[in-house]
Amino acid sequence: MYLRRLEGTGVPTDHDHLLDAAREPRPTAGPSDSPDPVAGLLRAAAGPPRPAELVGEEKALAAFRAARQAGLTAPPSRPTRRRRFTAGVVVWIAGVAATATAGAALAAVRLDWPHERSAPPSTPITRPVAPSPSAAGGQPDRGGGTPSQGVPGAAPTASPGVTPGVSAEPTEGAPDPTTSASPTPEPPQQREPAVDRTVQAGPGNSDNTADRPGLCKAYLSKPERQREKALRTPAFSELVVAAGGADNVLAYCQAVLAETDPEWLARHGPAAGSTDAAGLLPAALRRISP
Amino acid sequence: MSGELSQAVEAAQAGDEEAFRFLYRSLQPGLLRYLTALVGADAAEDVASETWLQVARDLPNFSGGEFRAWAVTIARNRAMDHLRRQRRRPALPVPVQELSELAGDADTAERAGESIGTEAALAMIASLPPREAEAVLLRAVVGLDAETAGRVLGRRAGAVRTAAHRGLRRLALMLGQPTEECDEPAATRATPPLPRTASQTPHAEPVDG
Repeated sequence: MYLRRLEGTGVPTDHDHLLDAAREPRPTAGPSDSPDPVAGLLRAAAGPPRPAELVGEEKALAAFRAARQAGLTAPPSRPTRRRRFTAGVVVWIAGVAATATAGAALAAVRLDWPHERSAPPSTPITRPVAPSPSAAGGQPDRGGGTPSQGVPGAAPTASPGVTPGVSAEPTEGAPDPTTSASPTPEPPQQREPAVDRTVQAGPGNSDNTADRPGLCKAYLSKPERQREKALRTPAFSELVVAAGGADNVLAYCQAVLAETDPEWLARHGPAAGSTDAAGLLPAALRRISP
Repeated sequence: MSGELSQAVEAAQAGDEEAFRFLYRSLQPGLLRYLTALVGADAAEDVASETWLQVARDLPNFSGGEFRAWAVTIARNRAMDHLRRQRRRPALPVPVQELSELAGDADTAERAGESIGTEAALAMIASLPPREAEAVLLRAVVGLDAETAGRVLGRRAGAVRTAAHRGLRRLALMLGQPTEECDEPAATRATPPLPRTASQTPHAEPVDG
């Protein structure tokens, strides 16, 4: 061995001992107890701290304090990461389940309500059913509830009305400043029913239940362990509001599905658990990836 | 020593500022001396304070083990980052030159025997080939054992021992200590140590790697 070769050459001191002894407070204890220059050098190199070496102390302590402050406000990183991962998985599964069931649910709902709901989408292009911009501003989240009704209607009514010439002459038939963005010549009373209609179809309205059976199915498809977490996600917040609280969601969903899709409810049962979710996931994956 | 240190680590993890101060005081001098050999005296202070910043930040995640080795590994990585940055901007002076000049001054200290100054001693160690200097500093100045130093350096403990032995022998020659072995050329002070290693000991390099 190389070390033995080194030692065998007659190096008088045990180097390992010298290296270890360098930091000891009082020197010597060398095997020969003779003043060894190398030992002295090592001791000097490992000598007591010099003041100049500790000038960064306050800076380091400030860093420690800052890190501690940050650590107190934020929880330890590892559990957070795991929780975020779990939450991500739950949201993802919820999204997949909702996507997988929402199509069928929407189709079912369409069949249930053939009256009056299906009519508006065809009309607003010819007749100014859709609200004026001021009405649209009052219902900012209307698009989430009935996308087929309001949004396509708003654009066509605005575009024929706002020609460059009209907008350049604001005095023409636009007495109301709130409607100045779309100075269409129609009288205000024609707009009134349109406003009522959109209010009627707003998200807070109980009529707007288009995707609640779908949400319910997604919710009931989850294993029971995940249901509680899922209700905290934005995807299910509407359901919680509609049911009047997270505790009521199960009963509410059973009631909704008993009305809209008793077959599904019978098939899956109120205690539809992990088996369904497991069966749902591959199907959804197949749908997503072509 | 290390028991005291690990108690302080636990206390610092729990938020004890005085414990962190203790850690700083017990580690910083050795760390700074080691860093001085790596990056030069000018940059060592900056690299050391970067190191303590990271130590303070990551201390909650430090899961047992040898605290000094952990901190020294951080310091070494910061030093390597610094050298990489410096290589990109080669206008800065090369610290090795300053160190060997210092080492030249340090030779005068040999006449004073064992009462060598810390500065001179460190300069002499820094003038060793980098691997030997690192091994000697980690072992003698930072106080790591060969296994731990090997972990810091990414080498086996035997390689660290070998490098430290060789470094010490070279130091002994620099100090003019009469050595029995004649297999090494005694022209130590006249020739700079770096090229000598390159020619003298190629057989041990694979062991180090």
